[in-house]
Amino acid sequence: MSMMLRKITDKSFTGLAGFSVVLIIMALAVVLGPMIWIGATAVVFKGTVEFRELQYDLHQRGDRGRLKSETSEVEKVRKKIYAQIDQFKRGIDTESLVAESRKKYREYKIFLKSQNLPDEQCDKLEDNAKEIRNTLADVYDSTDKDTIIKTLDELFAAYPAKQFEHTPVAEMLAAAHDYQTVARTIDLSNREKYAESLAEVQERLTKLLGPRPGEDKPALIMEQYGATRWDVAQKQLKMILWIEDWEETEPGKPMTKKLTPRSNQFAGTTLESFFKNLETDLPNLLKPQREFYWQYFIDDSTEGYYYGGVGPEIIGTLLFTVMGMLFAVPIGIISASYLVEYAGDNIIVRTIRICVNTLAGVPSIVFGLFGLVFFVKVLMPALGYESKPCILTGSMTLAILILPVIIRASEEAIRSVPLTYKEASLALGAGKFRTLVKVTLPAALPGILTGIILSLSRAAGETAPLLFAGAIAVGPIPESILEPSRVLSYGSYDIAVGDRYASMVPHKQFGMVVTLIMLVLCLNIVAFVIRSRVSRNLRGQ
Amino acid sequence: MISLSIPSLHNALDEKSIGNMDVDENVAIEQFSVENENAIVRARNFSLFYGHTAGVKDITLDIYSRAVTAIIGPSGCGKSTFLRSINRINDLIPNTHAEGTLEVSGHDVYDKRINLVNLRQQVGMVFQKHNPFAKSIYDNIAYGPRLTGMRKKSELNDLVEECLRGAALWDEVKEDLNRSALALSGGQQQRLCIARALATRPKILLMDEPCSALDPLATARIEGLIEQLKSKYTIIIVTHNMQQAARVSEYTAFFCLGELIEYNRTKKIFTSPQKKQTDDYISGRFG
Repeated sequence: MSMMLRKITDKSFTGLAGFSVVLIIMALAVVLGPMIWIGATAVVFKGTVEFRELQYDLHQRGDRGRLKSETSEVEKVRKKIYAQIDQFKRGIDTESLVAESRKKYREYKIFLKSQNLPDEQCDKLEDNAKEIRNTLADVYDSTDKDTIIKTLDELFAAYPAKQFEHTPVAEMLAAAHDYQTVARTIDLSNREKYAESLAEVQERLTKLLGPRPGEDKPALIMEQYGATRWDVAQKQLKMILWIEDWEETEPGKPMTKKLTPRSNQFAGTTLESFFKNLETDLPNLLKPQREFYWQYFIDDSTEGYYYGGVGPEIIGTLLFTVMGMLFAVPIGIISASYLVEYAGDNIIVRTIRICVNTLAGVPSIVFGLFGLVFFVKVLMPALGYESKPCILTGSMTLAILILPVIIRASEEAIRSVPLTYKEASLALGAGKFRTLVKVTLPAALPGILTGIILSLSRAAGETAPLLFAGAIAVGPIPESILEPSRVLSYGSYDIAVGDRYASMVPHKQFGMVVTLIMLVLCLNIVAFVIRSRVSRNLRGQ
Repeated sequence: MISLSIPSLHNALDEKSIGNMDVDENVAIEQFSVENENAIVRARNFSLFYGHTAGVKDITLDIYSRAVTAIIGPSGCGKSTFLRSINRINDLIPNTHAEGTLEVSGHDVYDKRINLVNLRQQVGMVFQKHNPFAKSIYDNIAYGPRLTGMRKKSELNDLVEECLRGAALWDEVKEDLNRSALALSGGQQQRLCIARALATRPKILLMDEPCSALDPLATARIEGLIEQLKSKYTIIIVTHNMQQAARVSEYTAFFCLGELIEYNRTKKIFTSPQKKQTDDYISGRFG
C-alpha cells in the first residue's frame, strides 16, 4: 500500500514538474513570440518607393538609375491624384483663386508690354483682361450656383480661350473652367466645410506620399518622405478613407469608435471617385517591395524614431553596460574578497552583509535618484565637470545597482573554494594576498562570472537608473563619455509614453525591445563561453 | 602507467621494509632517545590551543633528521594538529595559540619574529586530499620558487624537471608540462603535490595522510617515493594506516587525546610497545 502511494506521489510530482515546465515554455512563447514577430518587421518588411528614396538620399544606398525610373513611374500616377485634388480645390478655395487671377492679370500686363504691340490694341487687350478678372472676382465671391454657371458660360463665350492662347489669361480661364465644373457638383454654401475636410485629406496625403514635387522641402526629415513602409501606408490610407469619430452610445458608458467613409463628405462631387482611385492605385503610387533592412542595427534614427535604425541606441546600451561592469566588477570582487578573507566575522561585517543583501532588492528607480543626486549633482561638479547626466554618471549608477549582485555571487564563489587550495598555497610560503590573487580568485572565477552574467543582463535592460542619470530619448550621438546617450531600454520606454509615435511606429518600439533581448543574449553568450572556458581549464580538460 | 601487479608489489614492499629495519639497526648504534642532539624538529612541552581547548598538550619530542617519522593515533588525537604546527598552517584557524617551544632547525616557529615564508619554504607539506592548483603542471611546481623570486626560465625548467623526477612523475608527464594539473589521475596529482613541495627545496616534508584518498596501487607508488626521498629529506608522515607506518617509517610516535604516549623506533613500537595504550591501539583493541 505504502509502495503504491509512493509511486503515485512520485508520478504526480513528475507530472506536475513537467507541466510547469511546459507552462513556462508556453508563457515564454506567448510573450516573446508576438514581440519578436513584430520586432522582426523592423528589419524585414515591405518597403515603398519612399523608403528607397530615403535610403538613397541619406545613405546613398541602392541603385540610382532604378530609383529614378521608379520615381518617374510613380510620379505619373501621382500627378493624376494631385490633379484631381487641385481641380476640386479650385472650386473651394476662392480666396486663392481671386489672388491668382489678380496675379495672372498683372503677369499679362507685363507680357503685353513685352510684345511691342500698338498702343490701341494693347489697351484693348488689357481692358478685356481686366473685364475677365473683375467678372471672375465676382463669380468667385458668389455662392449662387446658377448665376455662377451662367456668368461663366457668358464669359467663356465672350472671350474664347483661343484668343489668349499661351498667355497668363488662358491659365486664368482654365482655373475658372475648373471652378465651374466643381461648382456644378457641390453645395457652394458648404465651401468652408469642404475646405476643412480637403485640407485634412491633403495633410494626410502628404504623410502617405510625401510632399508634392516642387513644394519646399520641410525641415524635419520625418516630413520629407511619405510612408516608407507598406503597413504604415495602409494605416495612413485608412485614415484618409475613413473619418474616425468617438460617439456616446449611452450616457455614462465609454465612448465607442465610429468610422464613416470620408467619401460621404464629398458625395456627388468630382472628388468622390478620388478615394476609390487612391485605394486601387496605392500599389502603383508606392511600389511596395520586400526589403531586408539590416542596416536597422547600425543606422541613426531620424527625429522621433520615425525612420532609420537603432545604431546609436545599441552603442549607448553597450557603453553603459560595459562601463558599468568596468566599475562594478573590480569593486565587487575586491569587496567580496575582503568580506570573505579578511573581515572575519563580527557585528559590523554582518551588518554590511545585511546591507548588501538589502541593496540587491532595492527598486532600481531609487538607484536612479541616487545617481542624479550624488553623481550628477555632487560628484561631477566636485570633479570639475559640468553637472549634467552623462554616460559616466549613468554607468556609475548602473554599477551601484549591480554591485550587490556581484558582491553576493563573488562572496559565495570565493567561500566555496576548498580550503585545501589555500592551504597548499600558504604551505608553499605564499602570503595571504598572493594566495587570494593567484589561487583563490582563479578557482572562484566561474562562480564570479555567473554573478557577472546575471548582473550584465540586469544592467543592459534597466531603464529607471538611466532615466535621470544619463539616458536621453532624442539627441546627437555622444562624442565623449561626458555626454548623455540614447539607450534601447529608455528609447522603447519613450516611444511607449510618447503616444504620438507609439501607434505609428510599433515596429520601431518592438524592434528596440527585440534588439535589446538579442543584445543581452549575445552578451550572455559571450560571458557564458568565457565561463565555460574558464571552468574547463579549472577542470583540466 | 603502473604495470606492477599487486602481489609482486607486496613482495617488493615487504623486502623493502625488512631492508629498512636492517638499516635502522645499523643507524641505531647511537642511543635512541626522545630528546636528540641532532634533531631538526624539536618540541619542548609544546601545546597548541584552539580557543580554550588544547589540540595537543605538552609534547616533547625530537624528530630525527633524514629519516621518516610516522605519527599514528586515533582520530582527534592531535597528530595532524602537531604536524600542522610545524609549518604553522594552523594559523588559518582563528583563535589558536601555542605554549612551550617548537623549533625547526633551532628556530622557534611560534616566535613572533619568524619569517613565515622562509619557514614554510623549509617545511614542505603534502595534504590528505591531493590539491594541485588549477594551473598547468609546470606552473604548479614553479609556484613556490617564483614566490622567492626565481624568474629565470632556464633555472625554472631545470628545477621543474628535477622535482618531477624527484617525485617519480617526470616520465609520465614530460610530454606536455602545460597540461592542466587537474587532468592527471589522483595518484599522479598527489605525486605532483609532492613535487610541488620539493620545489622550494625544503629540509622537512610534512605529509598529512597522503595516501588516504588513493587506491592501493597509487599508495604503493607514493610509499616507494617516500623510500627514495628519505635520504635527502626529513619526512614526517601522519597516517591512519598502521601497516603503512610500519612499512615506511623508522620512528613512530603514538598520540592519543592530544598527548604523546610513546615515541620510539618503529620496529620497537610495533613489536614491543612499552605502554599498554600503544599495545591496545596497534593490536586493534581500541581506536
